[in-house]
Amino acid sequence: MDEVIRVEGLTKNFGQLQVLRGIDCSVSSSEVVCVIGPSGSGKSTFLRCLNGLEEASGGRVLVHGVSVHDNSTDVDALRSEIGMVFQRFNLFPHMTVLDNITLAPTKVRGVPLEQAREQARALLIKVGLLDKIETYPNQLSGGQQQRVAIARALAMQPAIMLFDEPTSALDPEMVGEVLSVMQTLAEEGMTMMVVSHEMGFARRVANRVLFMDEGVLVEEGTPEEIFDRPREERTRRFLSNIL
Amino acid sequence: MTLLKKILLPLGLFALVAGNVHAQNKELVVGSSATYRPFAYENPAKEIVGYDVDIIKAVAQKAGLQIKIVNTPWTGIFAALNNGDVDLVISGVTINEKRKQSYDFTAPYFEARQLIGVHKDSTAKGLKDLAGKKVGVVTGSTGDDIASLEFGKTSPDIKRFESTPVAISELANSGVDAVIGDNGVIAFRVQEHKQLKTVSDPNFPKEYFGIVVKQGNKALLDKLNTGLAAIKADGTYAKIYKTWFQAEAPALPAQ
Amino acid sequence: MEPILWFGWFRADIIAEYGVMFWRGLQMTILVTVICIAQGTALGLAIGLARLAEARHSPARQICRYLLRWPSTVYVSFFRGTPLFVQILLIHFAVLPLFINPADGLLISGETARSLKQNYGAFISGILALTLNSGAYISEIFRAGIQSIDRGQIEASRSLGLSFARTMYHVVLPQAFRRMLPPLGNNAIALLKDSSLISAIGLAELAYTARTVAGAYSRYWEPYLSISLMYWTLTLGLAWAVKRLEARYGRGDTR
Repeated sequence: MDEVIRVEGLTKNFGQLQVLRGIDCSVSSSEVVCVIGPSGSGKSTFLRCLNGLEEASGGRVLVHGVSVHDNSTDVDALRSEIGMVFQRFNLFPHMTVLDNITLAPTKVRGVPLEQAREQARALLIKVGLLDKIETYPNQLSGGQQQRVAIARALAMQPAIMLFDEPTSALDPEMVGEVLSVMQTLAEEGMTMMVVSHEMGFARRVANRVLFMDEGVLVEEGTPEEIFDRPREERTRRFLSNIL
Repeated sequence: MTLLKKILLPLGLFALVAGNVHAQNKELVVGSSATYRPFAYENPAKEIVGYDVDIIKAVAQKAGLQIKIVNTPWTGIFAALNNGDVDLVISGVTINEKRKQSYDFTAPYFEARQLIGVHKDSTAKGLKDLAGKKVGVVTGSTGDDIASLEFGKTSPDIKRFESTPVAISELANSGVDAVIGDNGVIAFRVQEHKQLKTVSDPNFPKEYFGIVVKQGNKALLDKLNTGLAAIKADGTYAKIYKTWFQAEAPALPAQ
Repeated sequence: MEPILWFGWFRADIIAEYGVMFWRGLQMTILVTVICIAQGTALGLAIGLARLAEARHSPARQICRYLLRWPSTVYVSFFRGTPLFVQILLIHFAVLPLFINPADGLLISGETARSLKQNYGAFISGILALTLNSGAYISEIFRAGIQSIDRGQIEASRSLGLSFARTMYHVVLPQAFRRMLPPLGNNAIALLKDSSLISAIGLAELAYTARTVAGAYSRYWEPYLSISLMYWTLTLGLAWAVKRLEARYGRGDTR
């Protein structure tokens, strides 16, 4: 199993505010890693550093051996290997579902339109939304939009998928349909890093759980280790508040 | 009662007299477009000066009139006269039949001719030589009338501007080939630009400037004519002319 | 021409007499407006993007700051902060003569310069001034429109591997465009009316024609009312066109 992501001593400041205080981490191929922690712990910032949406103040992030924040790196090429799913979906409202999904493959990779459309249809079947192919995002529910967003990210056939609180903005009855898609992805062997509050999902699907607090990676381990036998006091306190 | 009478009566009489005197000495507003050097222009101290200014001041003094000169843009100067914003206009206005239909003129106070301004290396000798060239004029001026008559009112070769300085600038930049205007003004402007010269067309008729009043304002017209005749008689007119044009003043017709 | 009176006072004949000129003036106004809207929009887009240009790493970072953001900010400040009328005069009498001059033009000189200046001088100056001016206002519309698009849109697009340019073209600008249509429409209408200022440097458009007629006849109602109606018709047409555009680009937009 080769290493897809390697993080060494990652620090991030917003002005005077230190959000990340030195994170070391490694993700291997086909691993599903869940990141949990209280709000303000820096989980989202950490995730956004992985594909360069946030600059690093110190340390390194390597994706397939390539440094994300280096001057000479072709960030666009790197990002086409990393898929990202956002809390607020961020679908393109002026395009249909089909166009949302085919935009990147056709424009970035030069995939012929017909082929991209075929691929889009396959992905929509996978997320269970083929019948919505010609609709606009504002005609879909939140859960449906997020599933389209996942299909859109998958269209670039990324090596790794990042999820930034994918269900936090959803009504409870729609959370399940999205988590189910994510579980299928995991079972197919996709390398995933998920920032989420969904502890059930983490327990069921994750290979590893990372607990972050105040910009520091406090503890990491298998779901059983973290949820049933947490070593650190801070972890215990967090879990007792949540569960 | 007696005290009140003592105060009210003199007050009343005073008011009556003062009002009367005031009515007789009402200040008249004179409209002049002060971009017409040397007839009317603004000096660095922001005062309006020029040949026209000196003439009207002298005329007013002889006629017993109080005047105030107001810088009025040429474009609206006749409208201002008609709606009463100004009482009279002295602004290098040429007396012609068309204008006489709408306004009343005093006797002449200046003899003028149209003059052509061109580039130093121009071979034009007169108006006819300007055919097919771009000609600059001030909108609605005598120069405009002449050019329109010769080349057609809607000719695209006539370029109209709001004031003489703008037209001359255009000539200096080769935006037009020639500018037609009153000789006093054109001569003055041309000598400011070394690359320009003047051309006099012998066919241009002699013209006269007059002071303009609203049609039917006979009272004011008579006063102005009286003053004008007076300054011609006692040499004031000749003196003013010499000051501004360094030459002997020509004799002017009475009408 | 025999006076033709409408409603007993409106002299329609003087309008008819200059009919050719009104028609040419109308065409010129429309031509200037269309050209300047097109050029101003292109320029405004470029400047608007320049104002937003950012890069993470040197030397691109310094280039963005000093060659793109600073100059464009100064440009916008100047052309929004000085009167359009002044800009027109400045460009026509100061800037253009530097470049197009029979004597020593930096760009074009000699006979070409002379004929260019005479036939198209005012046209070039007017278009240049109006384009630069409206480009500044339009760049602010673009900047605000682009910035009003949720950051998440850009983040999602960049995360898919789309470059900054492609993100702008496929994701941001199409969404921003619909929001910018109303202020862009207003700008176009203002530009149509502002084109009347170019008459001051002798461009034969609508306002110039009205001034010519007023100068020739000293009558103001007929020419100015006529061109008012013409401008009004044009702006109504423009407003209708903008409304059609707004309707057409409204499909599937954000709630």
